[in-house]
Amino acid sequence: MTPNLPTITGIGSVSPYGPLAGLIPQCPLEPSAITAWTTAGLRRAFLVKPFRPASVVPGLKTRRLDRLSAWALVASFLALKDAGTELSQMDRSRVAVVFAIGFGCVELTEAFYQSAAANGWSGTDPSTFPETLANAPASHVALFHDLRGPNITVGSKGFAGESALIQAASLLRHGQADLAIVLAGGTLTRAVYEWYEVADLLSPACYNSEPLPEGGGFVPSEGVAALVLEPAGRLEVRSYAHLSSGRWAAGGQPVETIRQMLGGSVPSLTICAGNGAPCATSSTTALARELTGHGAAIVPPQAVAAGLADTSALLHLILALSSRPSSGQALLLGTSGESGFAALLLELP
Amino acid sequence: MTDIRKTIVVTSVGVVSTYGIGLDCLQAGILSGKCCLAPTKDLYPGFEGTTAQVCGLPLPAEGSNSRDSRTDRLAVIAAQDAVADFDCESVAFRESGVVMASTVAGLTEIDPGISQDPAAWYRRGGLLRAASYPVAHVADAVAEHLGIRGPRCAVSVACASGAMAIALAANMLLDGAAPMILAGGSDALCPFTLSGFNSLQALDPSPCRPFDQNRKGLNLGEGSAVLVLETLAGAAARNANVLAVLRGWAMTNDAFHPTAPQERGNGLAACMRLSMEMAEVSCGEIGYVNAHGTGTPLNDIAEANAYETAFRGRNRPIPVSSTKSYFGHCLGAAGALEAALTITAVRSGALFPTLRLSNPIESPGVDWLRGEVRRQALPLAMSVSAGFGGSNTALIFGSGRA
Repeated sequence: MTPNLPTITGIGSVSPYGPLAGLIPQCPLEPSAITAWTTAGLRRAFLVKPFRPASVVPGLKTRRLDRLSAWALVASFLALKDAGTELSQMDRSRVAVVFAIGFGCVELTEAFYQSAAANGWSGTDPSTFPETLANAPASHVALFHDLRGPNITVGSKGFAGESALIQAASLLRHGQADLAIVLAGGTLTRAVYEWYEVADLLSPACYNSEPLPEGGGFVPSEGVAALVLEPAGRLEVRSYAHLSSGRWAAGGQPVETIRQMLGGSVPSLTICAGNGAPCATSSTTALARELTGHGAAIVPPQAVAAGLADTSALLHLILALSSRPSSGQALLLGTSGESGFAALLLELP
Repeated sequence: MTDIRKTIVVTSVGVVSTYGIGLDCLQAGILSGKCCLAPTKDLYPGFEGTTAQVCGLPLPAEGSNSRDSRTDRLAVIAAQDAVADFDCESVAFRESGVVMASTVAGLTEIDPGISQDPAAWYRRGGLLRAASYPVAHVADAVAEHLGIRGPRCAVSVACASGAMAIALAANMLLDGAAPMILAGGSDALCPFTLSGFNSLQALDPSPCRPFDQNRKGLNLGEGSAVLVLETLAGAAARNANVLAVLRGWAMTNDAFHPTAPQERGNGLAACMRLSMEMAEVSCGEIGYVNAHGTGTPLNDIAEANAYETAFRGRNRPIPVSSTKSYFGHCLGAAGALEAALTITAVRSGALFPTLRLSNPIESPGVDWLRGEVRRQALPLAMSVSAGFGGSNTALIFGSGRA
């Protein structure tokens, strides 16, 4: 194995399964009813049950933060704990944070707009404004853990999670960091949910208590997934997966490009990272079949992760790893639009 | 010997600024000493201050059904300017990547009405406008208008965004992610950010005075700059003109405070040092620094301290100036616009003075540029960016000969 191959050594998540370090126990999950705001009838989503961050991370103060920042802090703590990383033993100027966002800190952005609606633009709340910035969660992670390496927040339509993983791996490969915490996620607010609703993107399962149907829209989700990434050569602990290579593009010939990346091999497992759009499930799975044939195992997009839209990849990956797949090559695959794709080749130990 | 596959070069720069479209326009404006900061009253009811607005560009009209935000349009115009002479049908161009920075992004299209009844706001036409809200949309807009289908992503790290987009694009080129990458930043003025900075009392009601002891804050501006980056091998293969070499880049974080920089500027100094290590140059070889220089009391003192640390050991003080004194702080576009100006400085040997700098911060290791444009040979220059959340980025540009 190449010593510098970026390796996933820790997992943390704040998701509808709750705040967890490591793999997520396999259990069925149904959407729950939205109560945070008044809805016209039943509206469901995969929601993170309220919890006190300080009950997970002793001493953590999150009162003025967007939930995205608070969850990022908890998820990063859990991922580092899972990795067994002793930051006190590390050069913290060599630890990077890479965060993938979709809508970013929408909760406090809405609060800022509410203060503008109530008081005019001249009467907005100064404590809220900095917390609306897209990089607030990543900077809080750096501040809490005293991480002084690169601190990056990226967005990418359909592939923000994959993009963050690729960027983090690049930092390690080029010696710009010794360890990276990669995070991806989002929060559900009224404005986000109603945006999906008015755009007619929601699954019928959002409106009734029936089990999730196949296809036909998606169920919005929320949460933050975190991975600790470090070079394989430094490992003294368990690794979940090694990240061999990654490609993503907004167009072109996905099959040719991915096959070129695979170099003739066929992954034994393909993890489809649907990105929330109604067509994503089928197009990603179809591409996976075209790439690997009907003999290889394909994990279709998981509804609870797909609801995270652009930032779904990390939770998809964690859920797939949680099913304890056998060793070999795995492909994390996402699609967007007609020919956009992201593909990451992983080696499972 | 130079490895042309690992040497990152800039082969074109596109700009839309308060001086107009094009790098030449920006350079001429700065060299003429023209300040674009002007009193502003109409950006939202009750606002009175100083900003730098881009006027006379083909931006969508108010209430337009276009799904591109004002930020998107600025980015697209800058990108179109950057590739005006390119063969846009070539495979290399089609497979290019796009890394665009923004902090405002589609906030320009959203108003407080969304917070009252989102569904009703969307049905009144907001749905189309909100489509440009995600920061990723800026990169999508550039790629779609240009027909580019390589990897695309957006970067949002507050005021260091534009410079960080360039740094990440350089990493991507080293990884072979695309044959060339359009990287830069774009941000438009909007009530959200004006109100935010105003609430923090960070705005100077008058034209800003970066690095002056009597500085009172920043002025917001708008614009976009897009650099075309590629490996020297790629540039040579298509016989492209090399404007500059990106010799070094680095990113750090202060891990100090959500908004305030660390007073000693340690994180920024470390960033500058790392970029010099990557470029394999000593601090004495850097001939000019285009500073972040916002004009806020906290930023400028931290930055001055960072220069003292990063350039300790030089024989002469390091020449530094802030071009935000000409066209304000363009947030996510700032780092890209300043990178463009740094390239201009390297190519022309013109070191731009900071405007209104009459009583500089006492900093013996820094040669604060003021008054007339200074002209000297400039093999290497640095552009420095910092932002809320403690993000820092430093870029070192050298002349076209790698």
